[in-house]
Amino acid sequence: MNSAVIEVLAPRYGIAWYPWAVQYFFLIAVSYSALLLTVPGLLFGKKNYESLAKVALLVTVSCTLAGPVALLADLHQPLRFWHFYANLTPWSWMSIGSLLLPVYLVLVVAYAWLAWRPAMQAQARGNGWIAKLSGWISLGEWHAPRWMLVATGLGALALSVGIMVYTGAEVAIVKARPLWNTYWLPVMFVLTGVVAAAGLVILINRLMTGNDQEVNEQSLKVIVVTMILSALVAALWVSEGITGFSPSVEQAFASLRGNPEWRAVAIYGLLVGIALTLTAIVTLRRPGWLGRSWIAGLLAVHIGWTFRWMVLMEVQTVAKNTAGYYHYAIEAGSSGLLGIIGTFGLWLAALLIIDILVPWKKSLQASSH
Amino acid sequence: MDKIRRALLGQIAKLTAGAALVPLSSIASAGINDQPPRREGDPEKRYAMLIDLRACIGCQACTVSCHIENEAPLGSFRTIVSQYEVEHEDTGDSATFMLPRLCNHCENPPCVPVCPVQATFQRQDGIVVVDNEVCVGCAYCVQACPYDARFINEYTQTADKCTFCAHRLDVGLLPACVESCVGGARIIGDLRDPESQISRMMKEHYSELMVLKPEMGTAPHVFYLGMDERFVSRPDAKPAIWDVRDQQGEEIGYEFSGH
Repeated sequence: MNSAVIEVLAPRYGIAWYPWAVQYFFLIAVSYSALLLTVPGLLFGKKNYESLAKVALLVTVSCTLAGPVALLADLHQPLRFWHFYANLTPWSWMSIGSLLLPVYLVLVVAYAWLAWRPAMQAQARGNGWIAKLSGWISLGEWHAPRWMLVATGLGALALSVGIMVYTGAEVAIVKARPLWNTYWLPVMFVLTGVVAAAGLVILINRLMTGNDQEVNEQSLKVIVVTMILSALVAALWVSEGITGFSPSVEQAFASLRGNPEWRAVAIYGLLVGIALTLTAIVTLRRPGWLGRSWIAGLLAVHIGWTFRWMVLMEVQTVAKNTAGYYHYAIEAGSSGLLGIIGTFGLWLAALLIIDILVPWKKSLQASSH
Repeated sequence: MDKIRRALLGQIAKLTAGAALVPLSSIASAGINDQPPRREGDPEKRYAMLIDLRACIGCQACTVSCHIENEAPLGSFRTIVSQYEVEHEDTGDSATFMLPRLCNHCENPPCVPVCPVQATFQRQDGIVVVDNEVCVGCAYCVQACPYDARFINEYTQTADKCTFCAHRLDVGLLPACVESCVGGARIIGDLRDPESQISRMMKEHYSELMVLKPEMGTAPHVFYLGMDERFVSRPDAKPAIWDVRDQQGEEIGYEFSGH
């Protein structure tokens, strides 16, 4: 272009999705990913994965409980949430999600309830208010057959696939934002979700169960495999943009061209990704280093959360029509920093309440057979 | 953007503007993210707007009158005129280019199928509206609109957008922006009426009309006459002034690029 264009007065369009969205996408991804990690130990009853299943079950339940609250808060009219159910809209991904989410939540809670129930029933035989409460929560002394656990587990897994598809598709179909409009986005949400869930399992394992080495080892292996897959997906996305195979990805690149901040983001993402993969590999290979797995755990959680922050928040600062980029500064209030901290606070509260009430470190129902 | 691509985009812009003249049979809904059936409004009409950029002087009268008519909150706009200063890099000659922006009331509006509660819908006369008593404020439509035509109204906490002043059209009045346009640049009318001014002008200038972002496949129904194809999609431009507001939304000054 042999002319220079100045946009004289550029209106600044506000952010429409707040950090609540990041919190929801993060928690729900950790939830479905941690659910996957419970499968070998709890659903298949494999002994050597039982410790992993115990921690992962706690992670999946706490995240499943806190996530939907963040989603509700992201509505500008949260009290109108019932409109979702009064106006069923099968052609909208978000409406489909609103149907899947409560069923998923109930199934995950039921799955955990059945898994924890034998230990809860044992606890109910003691004295004190926790024993009494445990009796109420376990709904009596009757024995729940294993098929109930398997059925709810399989149900939750089926619904979790629905959650993966809907959360990914919901964002990926938005053509107006070329950075979202790619088939790889849903895949990347799942992969980074698995990375973050394995990372959180390592951290909880370090803080609450005495740093079980087997759990660390299994989670690190999960991280290495999913990070390699993420690198592949990222490479495919980039090559689609460079070759012009996908016009939308090409447009996405064009929208960021010459922006030093986004270049820095790309380099940072690459470096952190490499750092995590190498840390995980080294921790696995060096004898005696498994105890320090929490370093990889922290990095993994950081990657899972920051990926969502970049995708959902920073992409909103790329103007669709006007010149330049919007500047987004996190507000202090509930639609900003307080919302982020509050959601994590809620998650922590859920985690601690379960920890107080449920003897989740004891044998799961899986091993009672 | 290189010349060939720009020219190609310009061609698509023209072709898409032309395709809109063929009345698209309302698209039946089937799959996810397909257009749902239209409702309300007059099925005999298809409202559209033609903006004659040759007559636009960038006075922002439309911006102001729309703001007053529709009581949009400070800093949010249902319509605005983008103003560009174009300088020829070799000769140093400069010119200004005005581009009024508003909802395009697309034939294939991406904001409609995403709405999870059917609060936003397209009327049978083509106007895209929001029922703000149903809207949950999820802002999905704001994300889905490629034209930044939607925003969350901070007073109502629901989605807000240009309605072609449907409340005025329905009682035989012109939209506020059309009424106040000094140069008569904005022409609104019914495309199904071959005698309407817009139909006649569209026929006359058929090959020169362009729409915004044709590559999005939205089939916009705001047509531009005298358009420069460099401005069809997000222009390669530098921002000059950002408005700066404090926490209460009060304007506290200006920020100039290059500071």
